[in-house]
Amino acid sequence: MRNISLIIRRVWKSAFMFTALSVLIVSGSKAQDVTEGRTIFKERCTSCHALDRDLVGPALQPIVGSKDEAFLIKWINNAPALIASGDKEAIEASKWNPNAEMTAFPTLTEVQIKSILAYVKAGEPKKAGEPEGGAVQQEVSSFSIAGVIAVILISIIVLVVLGRAIQMLERLILTKQGVVLVEKEKLPLMAGIGQLFKNKKFIFFFILCMVAVLSTFGWMGMWNTGVHTGYQPVQPIKFSHELHAGVNQIDCQYCHSGAFKSKNATIPSLNVCMNCHKAVQGRDNNDGNISPEIQKIYNALGYDADKMSYDKSKEKPVEWVRVHNLPDFAYFNHSQHVVVGEQAIRKEKGLQPNEPVCFACHGPVDTMEEIYQYSPLTMKWCINCHREAELDVKDNGYYTKIIEAHEKIKKGEKITPASLGGLECGKCHY
Amino acid sequence: MESNKKYWKGLEEFKSTPEFVENNKNEFAEPLPIEDVLNEAGLSTVTPRRDFLKALGFGLGAVTLAACQPAPVHKSIPYLVKPEDVIPGIPNYYVSSFNGQSVLVKTREGRPIKIEPNPNAGVYSQGTNPQAQASVLDLYDISKLKAPVLKNQETTWSKVDEYVKSELAKVQASGKKIRIVSSSVNSPSTLSVIADFIKVYPAAAHIQYDPVSYTGIIKANENSFGKAVLPKYNFDKADLIVSFGADFLGTWISGEEFTSQYVSNRNNTSLAKGKMSRHIQFEAGMSLTGTNADTRLPIKLSEEGPALITLYNAITGGNLAGGVLPNNTAAEKAIKLAGKELAQMKGRGLVVCGSNDVSTQILVNAINSAMGSYGTTIDLDTPCRRYAGNDAAYAEFVNEVNRGEVGAVFVLNANPAYDSFNAKAFADGMKKVPLKVSFADRADETAAFCDVIAINQNYLESWGDASVYEGYYTIVQPTINPIFNSRQAEQSLLIWSNNPVVEYYQYVRNNWEKNVLPLFGKSWNDVLQSGVVFATTPKAAGSYTFSLSLASVAPSVLNSSKALAKDIELHVYENNAIGDGRYANNAYLQELPDSVTKVTWDNYIALAPKFAEKLGYNEFDVVTVKAANGYTVELPILIQPGQAIGTASIALGYGRSKAGAAGNAVGQNAYPFLAFNNGTRQYASNITIEKTGRRHELAQTQTHHSFEGRNIIREATFQEFVKNPAAGSGNHGEKHKTYDMWDTFEKPGHNWVMAIDLNACTGCGSCIVACNVENNIPVVGRDEVRRRREMHWIRIDRYYTINDGDNKVTKEDEVESLDNLDNVSVVHQVMLCQHCEHAPCETVCPVLATVHSSDGLNHMAYNRCVGTRYCANNCPYKVRRFNWFNYWNDSRFDNYLNNEFTQLVLNPDVTARSRGVMEKCSMCIQRIQTGRLEAKLEKRALRDGDIKMACQQACPANAIVFGDGNDPESEVSKALRSERVYYVLEEINTQPGVGYMTKIRNTGTTIQA
Repeated sequence: MRNISLIIRRVWKSAFMFTALSVLIVSGSKAQDVTEGRTIFKERCTSCHALDRDLVGPALQPIVGSKDEAFLIKWINNAPALIASGDKEAIEASKWNPNAEMTAFPTLTEVQIKSILAYVKAGEPKKAGEPEGGAVQQEVSSFSIAGVIAVILISIIVLVVLGRAIQMLERLILTKQGVVLVEKEKLPLMAGIGQLFKNKKFIFFFILCMVAVLSTFGWMGMWNTGVHTGYQPVQPIKFSHELHAGVNQIDCQYCHSGAFKSKNATIPSLNVCMNCHKAVQGRDNNDGNISPEIQKIYNALGYDADKMSYDKSKEKPVEWVRVHNLPDFAYFNHSQHVVVGEQAIRKEKGLQPNEPVCFACHGPVDTMEEIYQYSPLTMKWCINCHREAELDVKDNGYYTKIIEAHEKIKKGEKITPASLGGLECGKCHY
Repeated sequence: MESNKKYWKGLEEFKSTPEFVENNKNEFAEPLPIEDVLNEAGLSTVTPRRDFLKALGFGLGAVTLAACQPAPVHKSIPYLVKPEDVIPGIPNYYVSSFNGQSVLVKTREGRPIKIEPNPNAGVYSQGTNPQAQASVLDLYDISKLKAPVLKNQETTWSKVDEYVKSELAKVQASGKKIRIVSSSVNSPSTLSVIADFIKVYPAAAHIQYDPVSYTGIIKANENSFGKAVLPKYNFDKADLIVSFGADFLGTWISGEEFTSQYVSNRNNTSLAKGKMSRHIQFEAGMSLTGTNADTRLPIKLSEEGPALITLYNAITGGNLAGGVLPNNTAAEKAIKLAGKELAQMKGRGLVVCGSNDVSTQILVNAINSAMGSYGTTIDLDTPCRRYAGNDAAYAEFVNEVNRGEVGAVFVLNANPAYDSFNAKAFADGMKKVPLKVSFADRADETAAFCDVIAINQNYLESWGDASVYEGYYTIVQPTINPIFNSRQAEQSLLIWSNNPVVEYYQYVRNNWEKNVLPLFGKSWNDVLQSGVVFATTPKAAGSYTFSLSLASVAPSVLNSSKALAKDIELHVYENNAIGDGRYANNAYLQELPDSVTKVTWDNYIALAPKFAEKLGYNEFDVVTVKAANGYTVELPILIQPGQAIGTASIALGYGRSKAGAAGNAVGQNAYPFLAFNNGTRQYASNITIEKTGRRHELAQTQTHHSFEGRNIIREATFQEFVKNPAAGSGNHGEKHKTYDMWDTFEKPGHNWVMAIDLNACTGCGSCIVACNVENNIPVVGRDEVRRRREMHWIRIDRYYTINDGDNKVTKEDEVESLDNLDNVSVVHQVMLCQHCEHAPCETVCPVLATVHSSDGLNHMAYNRCVGTRYCANNCPYKVRRFNWFNYWNDSRFDNYLNNEFTQLVLNPDVTARSRGVMEKCSMCIQRIQTGRLEAKLEKRALRDGDIKMACQQACPANAIVFGDGNDPESEVSKALRSERVYYVLEEINTQPGVGYMTKIRNTGTTIQA
């Protein structure tokens, strides 16, 4: 069920995004350069600059207001060259932060730079209640389900009432016609049911149904005991994979660097977060304040965003809730699968070339607002893949001799992990 | 030709006692102890129906509720700032050194979990000793103090510093002496710190002593050659080794190093060249070295002196008086023959003696000099710094404290209140000392007397260095932050002496950069990586000649011998597990069976069978042992074949009272039996014993598994081997016929197999401890071992056989009179899961929890096992172990692991098994899988030697070789092609994957006992 509701949510989301985007495009025809400027700004500038506060570089709004546009264009285009040329204003400007030099952007055209400046002047556009809109949509979706149920209930009631009315009318007609009504129908409901249970055929049928239903549920329940597909615990920080892996297209390895080297994919340590979040503070959506979620990173590290300093005594590690829980007696190694077995898994799971191999088991992480368990992680599920996937042994010196020997015995058959002993107990349980 | 010797594991098997026969019928010692369990839990013997229903209802409800939980909530806490070189899941290795041996420390996510030998370490590159393997456990020991102690109160370091400094100033002002008492220190930096301390406090002096002392050898060398050093012995250059009570393969000076050297002349490679050294041992108690000797003759302790004089006379043709053994003609004959042979050896012979008597060692020097050993097998120019203790200096120190001349005592790595012959005098004297500081890591016997316990760090938390040979330096670097609020002793001394270098790390580095590194042209970073520096071309050993007169030496030796010849002669010795008692709180070592007697968790008094019979004692009778100095202890008797009649042996290192939870009250302290004569500690003394009428069953592992007299040890003499390399192996150019009831499965990929050289294995036990640490094998404790429930996956079986000269069939009835039991020889056989092709365990498992893999391993899936124990019953090798309890999480087994600290030692790649499942050697499958994965990630073929078993790695004798049998060029394939190879019980068609090589004994014709 979790899956379905998630899919529904996702559909709603993307539909909303689409409308929001089209609204933005339509309304933004006038502010064309501002929008473009914002995009470029977010791409190129945010790691050192913010509109209204000092980072590595100075706050931009006051500067753009006070400086000459021609100078700014030259400066942004190639600051080091400008300084080298001996431009007094440039040399003055370079003293703002003696430790860091303004990066040159020779690829930016004048129009693009003007767009950036326009955006800086205009500031962050007030978005027409985007978060509120999302919330409304959310409510509608749950409301609509409730509505559907209400409609069904009302119609049932209507049907029952109508039935009663028809019965009454029939009886009225019959009495008018002088037919004497048999008292039988006046039996109370309970007695009626009691009567029903004296019918052996009915009892047999009833028990049969009950057995069928219970055993079906029991069977399904037993198979799903300990299977936590869709498990989506609440995490201490509302980290969105959708935003990071989806919208921002950050490579999985950037944070989960262990996956390609070790058995553990590793949850990134907070210093990895800080690579970006020292600058990216989510102020745009929080009335100029640091996003409360990002603030949680700072709190954990004892980082003071204003002073840009760390206080070790205030460190408090983040306690994430594990989503994927393999039992202790099952050994799983990420690097074996994402490096050695990558091609085999891609082929078996039919991944697109642009999708990371991680999606094979972790699902479309780039669309998960909050991460959930996509695969059942049962032994059956593991084994299925070990039986089906065809190994990619090209260019891997480890397999050369083994496959040679193997070919002598089983000529031409598909070579799966299973045929090289990948189903043996001791390969994963030790 | 198959051997027709009879081998037996213990006297009870030899004599087929009714208990032994009864016990042998069952794999498990006793029926299921359900009633015991119920009684233990305090339930009434009759379970009322209502209680039963209540329990049933509650259980059902609880299980239902527990099953309702949607998903378990596991917290996952990443690093805040991850150290750059740590990748969770991948071990990091650091070089360090343990007691001077350079080792690699394997750490996982910052915690040390395994010690491995450093392959680049030169003299020590092969294997480790059991203590090194077990030392990771000491790091997490919760019996240690958690903060420094001042006047019995836990305190802070600043308060300790304040107190010690002010007291030191007072002592300095009073003009009293300051003494730093330590065991031998060979760390150049520590010695330098102490020297700096002495500069600041000129009244200070450094006293070194060793519980098991080598002062005798050092003094003898000073006397004979003017060099007060412990020489470097080269057992690899000796073709004939004669040892008088020196356990040089076990505990004597540097057992693991000598094992590597010794075995290099006796292993498969050497035999293939047709070369094998000879080793003759004369000793009182049966030592590990004695069990490996080609010829071993028991001699009394009082006969050692005359025996050496006999040997001297035989070699030099001299005529020193007293060279007769009137009561031991066999030994006298053998010594004379050995002497003749040694005289011809000229630089290829070596005589060593375990005595700590200066005169005796001078005599040994004279013998070695006469054989030309100096410059070849003995090297006086590369002195060994492992032991530098001076017994006389220590004795004088005890006098000083008793005279009240000492104002401050610092005790470093020493425990004189426990391990000295005059502990009481030490304790009394300490009361007169104003400032007493101990650097112990726990409140041990000595620290209990001290005002300050400045808790020292474990070597895994420390900076430091060591130099066990001149010109050979190793580094100690920390692999973890200090677990408790401890501080290195050297750091404390630096602070108390106001040294300008504040950090000990900086001190070590300065010292190396100034004094050591320039000699080798290396940088500090080189050393942090290699762990060791030494000259690639060793200094040539100079030749020395003994030119003094023995006129006064020989009578002194004879007088000491004469003084010993009364009552029962007692030999106190170190065993290979506990050693001198320093590591007594290490549960792995306590449960490591003694190499010879296979006793765990106890010491005992060993008597020869015939002698015990004469005195009227049975095995396990507890007797009162009374020393000449009045010390008495009660110890159980162990009947030890091969023990010299009229002698008794008691192991040192037991009877600790303040070691910690595991080590306290295990056995009895034997140090008070020591005597101080002629300026050295003496390990031989006289005792009398008396009955107590009580009995104490020792927890022996040996007789737990019987092979029912099957022919599993194959042995030949060197002469037979030279004629026919397959001699004794049972191979006549053809293998046993094999039969298949099922389809055979091909092994196209790998075929993991192992070869074990019985001639290399000395039985030291390093492999057992290494396996314990690698595979999270629990320690079960004395009671459980008595119930035959020890969990060791690998064990070393010790078999006795009677030397009757000509290999005749030896039936019980022929040797009923115990005449020959003094003259036994011993074979050690490493036994572990044989990974049989036709494994009898696999066919009987009802749930298919144990199955065979396509690469030749016998897998054990714990999560499938339901604990029927059929497999253990059906295993002919008796290698399967059953978890009767949750040993790692059950308060009844509070040996070491039931706390959050010690559990950090567990290897995260191996499941900690739960109660009710079977386990056994997995052939370190986690290592195989890691090795394969590394090859796959690097896209290369697996190289031979990439994967090493934990036992193989720890073996100093290189007796275990593991590898891929499908690769004809692998080391193991080559080893298994040797004609000496046989498979244990191959006649029952199990087709094992572990091949053994025959034991070869170099019993020449000249010396036949």
